Amino acid sequence: MTPLLEAAQAAFHYPGRERAVGPFSLSVNAGELHHVRGPSGCGKSTFARMLAGLIPHLYHGRFSGAVHVGGLRTVDAPLWQLSARVGLVGQNPAAQLLATTVRDEVVFGLENLGVSRAEMKTRLDAALDGFGLRGMEDRDPHSLSGGEQQNLVLAAIAARRPQVIVLDEAFSMLDAGAVTDVADHLQRLRYEGTALLAFEHRLPSGNWRRGARQHVLAGEPPAEEPLPEWPQRVVPLHLHLQGLGVTLGRRRVLEDIHLSLTGGQVIAVLGGNGAGKTTLLRALAGLQPFDGDMRDDRDSGRLGLCFQNPDQQIFNPTVRQEILFGNGGIDEHLYRCTLELFGLRAYEYRPPLLLSEGEKKRLALAILLLRPELRGLCLDEPTLGQDPQHRRMIGRVVRQLASAGYLCVVATHDVDWAAEWCDEFVLLHDGRIAAHQNARALRQPEGEERRCHAVM
Amino acid sequence: MPRGDVRRLAVVEGSFLRRVDPRTKIALSLAMSAAVTLPLPSLALVAACFAGLLVAAGVARPAAAQLWRGRLWFAVLFLLDWCVVGIAFAVLITLRLALLTSSFMLIFASTTPDELRLAGERLGVPPRLAFAFATAFGSLGLMEREWRGILEAQQARGIGSAPAMQRWWQLRRADLARVTALVVPAIVLATQRAWSIGEAAAARGFESPERRSYRVLRLRAVDHALLAATALVLGVSFLLR
Repeated sequence: MTPLLEAAQAAFHYPGRERAVGPFSLSVNAGELHHVRGPSGCGKSTFARMLAGLIPHLYHGRFSGAVHVGGLRTVDAPLWQLSARVGLVGQNPAAQLLATTVRDEVVFGLENLGVSRAEMKTRLDAALDGFGLRGMEDRDPHSLSGGEQQNLVLAAIAARRPQVIVLDEAFSMLDAGAVTDVADHLQRLRYEGTALLAFEHRLPSGNWRRGARQHVLAGEPPAEEPLPEWPQRVVPLHLHLQGLGVTLGRRRVLEDIHLSLTGGQVIAVLGGNGAGKTTLLRALAGLQPFDGDMRDDRDSGRLGLCFQNPDQQIFNPTVRQEILFGNGGIDEHLYRCTLELFGLRAYEYRPPLLLSEGEKKRLALAILLLRPELRGLCLDEPTLGQDPQHRRMIGRVVRQLASAGYLCVVATHDVDWAAEWCDEFVLLHDGRIAAHQNARALRQPEGEERRCHAVM
Repeated sequence: MPRGDVRRLAVVEGSFLRRVDPRTKIALSLAMSAAVTLPLPSLALVAACFAGLLVAAGVARPAAAQLWRGRLWFAVLFLLDWCVVGIAFAVLITLRLALLTSSFMLIFASTTPDELRLAGERLGVPPRLAFAFATAFGSLGLMEREWRGILEAQQARGIGSAPAMQRWWQLRRADLARVTALVVPAIVLATQRAWSIGEAAAARGFESPERRSYRVLRLRAVDHALLAATALVLGVSFLLR
């Protein structure tokens, strides 16, 4: 039997890079699930693009080896023909939205297939029903939740009925509930004969991954060196939130939040998309007006917020200049400690925009940490899209900062990470606190962990 | 920021213009733009008819909001022309500018970017260009959201907002650094978005020669009536001239 998709020693050499990515080989048949994993930087996304034909068509560089999709050689066939056989779903659903209504989003790909209008209508209806999008046809795709957006992207791809769907970290930006939802839809596609290739650090749990074929791409995980002690000890904050609430537009996003937070601790803020996690962090950092009361016993300093997307903050030509911008007064020892703590020593004179996502996130954290009078940090989804080594690295850094007296508040979907690295967790549901407990409770599979997953 | 907070030029769903072919609306807007060459009495007649159409179509409010946003420029222009030439000239110029500004609101308040793309393709615009235009038009709200995000993120690291508009030779080094801190991330994010949109479009068969649109554009009775009325008003106005 001829495989639906076959890669034979496929490799790609980006211009200006020392080494090529690959070579990789793989063979995929109908209805199979393949799980491809490997450390960050090993070439997972590049391989996914090679399989979908985007490489070599859209990228400059040197492609070697061969990829065949449904009998077509990707180098020779035009991209529009390849895309009818293999679909690609990326990490960030919002970045893949092309239209201004849900209906047009699904129809966009169907129009390019050249099928009849009656067939388009049939497939559109099937996609809307199949992916839980019925009733949202006229909505702006950017107003949907992350899970709904990823379902929409998947629906738009699935409506084209490709033989293979490549998922490039398609789960990494979704909360637990959305992951289950998307995984259920993928399970159905697999039953119908579509082969799935998941490039993920880890597959979501559930029956759908049964029988998955495993592939591990070679790569060198970063060596785990002991972290230096942070030289600045700070006076711990004692922050009291009483009846804190936030209204955005007409929506009450946070309601009746009562919390006492103390420096030296790592607090996880858990909850599904739209639960109010980011808004709570913004209020703590003084970026969001609120009603109610927030008081610091000693009035000793403030909290800084590290944003989800580090590209919003980076603009200098080197990592050194980026860290020192506006922090010119810091001494060399503190600067060196910052580089060591965040694993950035090797990149000191590199352009920050060329760092990996994980490295950029750590750089953004380093920049924030050097702000004067800072007594605490709020981190918004720091582990999103990170491989296990980088997730661990972030965990070690926040623990180190907590031991220096900083208050670390981390909004995350990642219950496992919170269980491993946090002291307490606050579970938000519909803008209210549903639970506030010791993070040990998250390590009991039958206890709070299950409840968190249920709420999220 | 919540996801629903993307501000686009809102399409007025209840308007009868939603049922009008986008090509008719483009023709109507172009006709209004051409009418600005008319002298004051004829121009006043066209402007009155056009205002009536905007009210009947339920898009007067967004058009008025658009004019209100430019009130400072209108006022300056009006006063300047009044002082330098005279009141009649000031009214003429201000009316021309108002008609030009609001003529395209008729399209934007009643047409989605996807409909505009289709109309463009039907009018012979290359599909790649029509797609680029529709995507850019549809991304205005997202760009605004991204810009606000950058402002906030830089504020969080202690970099204030961009300096107020001043003469370029008065910009200090620190001001330039602040502008760079905002502009570089904006360019990076816009480039990233453009690249991912290109990839997503390619992954869904963009530029296929077999492309067939789902929507069918057809001139109906309402289109013919609108085009005829426009021709009549413009014809009478030019005759009156």
